[in-house]
Amino acid sequence: MVLLGPSGSGKSTLLNVLGGLDRPTSGHTFFRDLDLANAADVDVTQYRRLHVGFVFQFYNLIASLTAAENVELVTEIATSPMLAQEALELVGLGKRMHHFPAQLSGGEQQRVAIARAIAKRPTVLLCDEPTGALDVATGVHVLDAIVTANEKLKTTTLLITHNADIAKIGDRVVRFADGLIRSVEVNAQRIPPKELHW
Amino acid sequence: MIKLPSLDVKLLRDLKRLRAQAVAVSGVLSCGVALFVMATGMYDSLDRARNSYYDTARMADLAVSVVRAPDPVAIQLAALPGINALETRVSGVGLLDLVGKTDPVSARLVSLPADRQPRVNDVLLRAGRWPDPKRENEILINEAFAEANLLAPGMTLSALIYGRQRELEIAGIASSPEFVFAVAPGAMLPEPERFGVIWMGRESLARAFDVDGAFNDVVFRLAPGANVRDTIGEIDTILARHGGRGAYARDRMLSAQFLADELSSLKTMASILPPIFMLVAVFLLNVSLSRLVATERSNIGLLKSFGYSNAAVAIHYAKFAIAFALLGAAIGVVLGRWIGSQMAEIYAKVYRIPDLTYDAELSVYMWAVAVALIAAVLGAAQAVLRAVRLPPAAALAPPAPVSFGRLGAGIEAAARNLDGKTRMVIRRIVRFPRRAATTVIGISLALALLITSQHFPISMNHIVDVTFGIAQRMDATLSFSETADDRILAEVARLPGVFSVEPVRAAEVFMSAGSHERRDTILGLPPGAFLNRVLDDKMNSVALRDDGITLPFKLAEKLGVRVGDRIRVQATDGHRAVAELTVTAIVKPYLAGTAYMEMAALNRALREPGRVSAAYVLMDRNERDNLSRKVKELPMIAGVSFLDNASASMRKMFNEGSGFFAYMFVVFSSLMAGGVAYSAARVTFAEQERDLATLRVLGFGRREVSYVLLAEIGALLLIALPVGSILGAVLSRWLMTQFQTDLFTFPYVTESGAYGKSALFVACAVIGAVLAVRRGVDRLDLVGVLKSRE
Repeated sequence: MVLLGPSGSGKSTLLNVLGGLDRPTSGHTFFRDLDLANAADVDVTQYRRLHVGFVFQFYNLIASLTAAENVELVTEIATSPMLAQEALELVGLGKRMHHFPAQLSGGEQQRVAIARAIAKRPTVLLCDEPTGALDVATGVHVLDAIVTANEKLKTTTLLITHNADIAKIGDRVVRFADGLIRSVEVNAQRIPPKELHW
Repeated sequence: MIKLPSLDVKLLRDLKRLRAQAVAVSGVLSCGVALFVMATGMYDSLDRARNSYYDTARMADLAVSVVRAPDPVAIQLAALPGINALETRVSGVGLLDLVGKTDPVSARLVSLPADRQPRVNDVLLRAGRWPDPKRENEILINEAFAEANLLAPGMTLSALIYGRQRELEIAGIASSPEFVFAVAPGAMLPEPERFGVIWMGRESLARAFDVDGAFNDVVFRLAPGANVRDTIGEIDTILARHGGRGAYARDRMLSAQFLADELSSLKTMASILPPIFMLVAVFLLNVSLSRLVATERSNIGLLKSFGYSNAAVAIHYAKFAIAFALLGAAIGVVLGRWIGSQMAEIYAKVYRIPDLTYDAELSVYMWAVAVALIAAVLGAAQAVLRAVRLPPAAALAPPAPVSFGRLGAGIEAAARNLDGKTRMVIRRIVRFPRRAATTVIGISLALALLITSQHFPISMNHIVDVTFGIAQRMDATLSFSETADDRILAEVARLPGVFSVEPVRAAEVFMSAGSHERRDTILGLPPGAFLNRVLDDKMNSVALRDDGITLPFKLAEKLGVRVGDRIRVQATDGHRAVAELTVTAIVKPYLAGTAYMEMAALNRALREPGRVSAAYVLMDRNERDNLSRKVKELPMIAGVSFLDNASASMRKMFNEGSGFFAYMFVVFSSLMAGGVAYSAARVTFAEQERDLATLRVLGFGRREVSYVLLAEIGALLLIALPVGSILGAVLSRWLMTQFQTDLFTFPYVTESGAYGKSALFVACAVIGAVLAVRRGVDRLDLVGVLKSRE
């Protein structure tokens, strides 16, 4: 699912609420039986730990850990994770797993972040402008990794973008404006990332 | 209203934001400033009060005692070149009867001129009135003795003077620079409960001591520029016929010596301790400001792109350091003054110097501020330079990510089994070794200081234990009015409760070797002496050889002699016999030691065979009161001192000073340890805020995230504890030698408790500081951190 809209339209707020990083001022958000809006901090932490994978615009890798170690950080605390190597191979970085973030390009760093997010086999994968800081070619690579993970792991994936072209890769597109959801459209035909141009 | 320049508005806002860090840095700095202000100001105050006391009360430059010199001899003495003023006196020791006191109490009796104040060693009236010259039983007593025995003007004392009982009436309470420390003959330290000073009319005292028309003691003031050595020689020549015992200068006057010792300790403290705190403050400033410049990177770029000069940027960041320094200096000055006034109260109580208050000169405060500012500039220099060197374009771009590398193969292999969080901690420590080292050094120094502060009381207790437990083992010392024939020992043995008697012969002598000359005491002990023993470094008894002399190392240093060298010895009284002696051993006593000889050999050298000066006894403690009573009836015994009293009063004196210091050091060391840990934790937290928030987002709980923060400082603490302990041992050992004076040698002795307690205390301070920073983990802004570029 792609959340599409201009800056300040409320996409990130929704994503943060869904990811258990923020709480809504009113209303409820449920993950299965857990009311995320009112749950205890410990329960929300546990929800993030076991069920949510995050990918951010600025990667947020730990600079003092290698690519593999960044992934292991998550697999160490997950219940049925894949191997760090497996996750990195899935995003095409099997050969760079022992590099530190400072030794990787922006696109590679973002793919490590994706590997880290999917390694725990999350129930939901939340991606906030994952290509925002990248050039087109690299961005395509990153989106490809997200789509691959989504198809192979069958993880519910939400992706935020303000780029209407990128919206074409989703099954459904939710349009935001002024803090409200304006429409939910189903893409009749998804386009693979490699065919995108923007 | 004046409008502040925008940069200064920014400075004030930033300072408000950085206030916790400012407190940590300024706190450490203020400890250094406080110690400096206290020690330097106290040195000045004590020095000034002493000098003014010496001037107003005309403290003697020279003193001499003599068997009996007719009054006209004073005219000859006064005519000597270099003599400004002199006072001839009658002086002696008497035994007192105090109501409710069975232990013998003695007093030094000193005569007062009939119709005027003493010209030298004046007496200052503190309470009551001056004795009426017409009433010969009226006396003045010294302040410490009056306080310790609750004596007041109007009360009476019964005294045994030269074998005759006298009733004395206290007219007033007085003090004199001569008796800043009133020490009984043969004792080391004041015991005001059992020894006092009594001033009374010259005529009456002369009659009591049977020296009518004569004197037995002279004190002199020298003219400025007088040659001390020559004057002493001339005095001795004149008094030789009258049994002069050799004139001596202030270096042999115990009161003057104690004050000189105290001043030298203050000087040592002022020069050693503040720099340690300043050094740590410089490190802390360096770390804090480097971090500030790193976070302000884009601001610096902006300022420069707006056209602010490098100098303006440099001054802006230097102002942070200056603000920290001024805050530290202000707190330090106030704190230093307060500690100084507390110390002045202790000093005033111990030394009884009039007008002794803490009063530092303006220059002390100005130096304190200057030193704090210098520390600030040194600490800030590197960070300010970095800000100056940042090109505006580079500053506006985000910084290159910190690049981490693999550690050595060995460490990596070991780290493989660790979890990711621990690996983060280790890689950060290794990646920023200088900062890690700063934290380790700061905590180590705090621990070292605390350990050192604990060593002084341990050392002092050891001195008391060794002196009054291993070296001296008598129950009591009976000193004779004058040297006596050794048949007196049989009489002593018959005194109530006495089991065992051991004689001792004490002689004042001039010693010389080459151009060095000293006046000191030689104690003659019998072979195999058991009750007073000379000890070597390993606490084994040194057998005194009958063919030479054993010297304490300080005396040997002053004479410039080693074992095997020859020294010339001349008695100050009696036959003034001269002997050449070989130095057979040099020992290291803790208290200003005398020289030792085998007793018969000493008597041979003095050409006075079979003479004794005092007797040590072992006795039945239940008979103590009987012995004290009996001794008062015996004119040949001038005084009795019990070892337990001496040891208790020494412990009391040590505790008075060191208790306050120990407390102060605990506070200062914890401030240092806490300040260092807080700064380090703040910087670690600030740098890792993003990583910590990321960990929280990835599903790590608060406790797990806190671990990353705490483990780093914890690991550094674990390194600092052994380092600090070793540093503490080295520092204590070194400081013991620095604080060594003519009267005391502080041995380095240790107890594991000193280390354990100190380490625990420092660890608590560090943990407390880090937990305060850890609260930041609870307030991490998960959303905000992820939205922003690093």
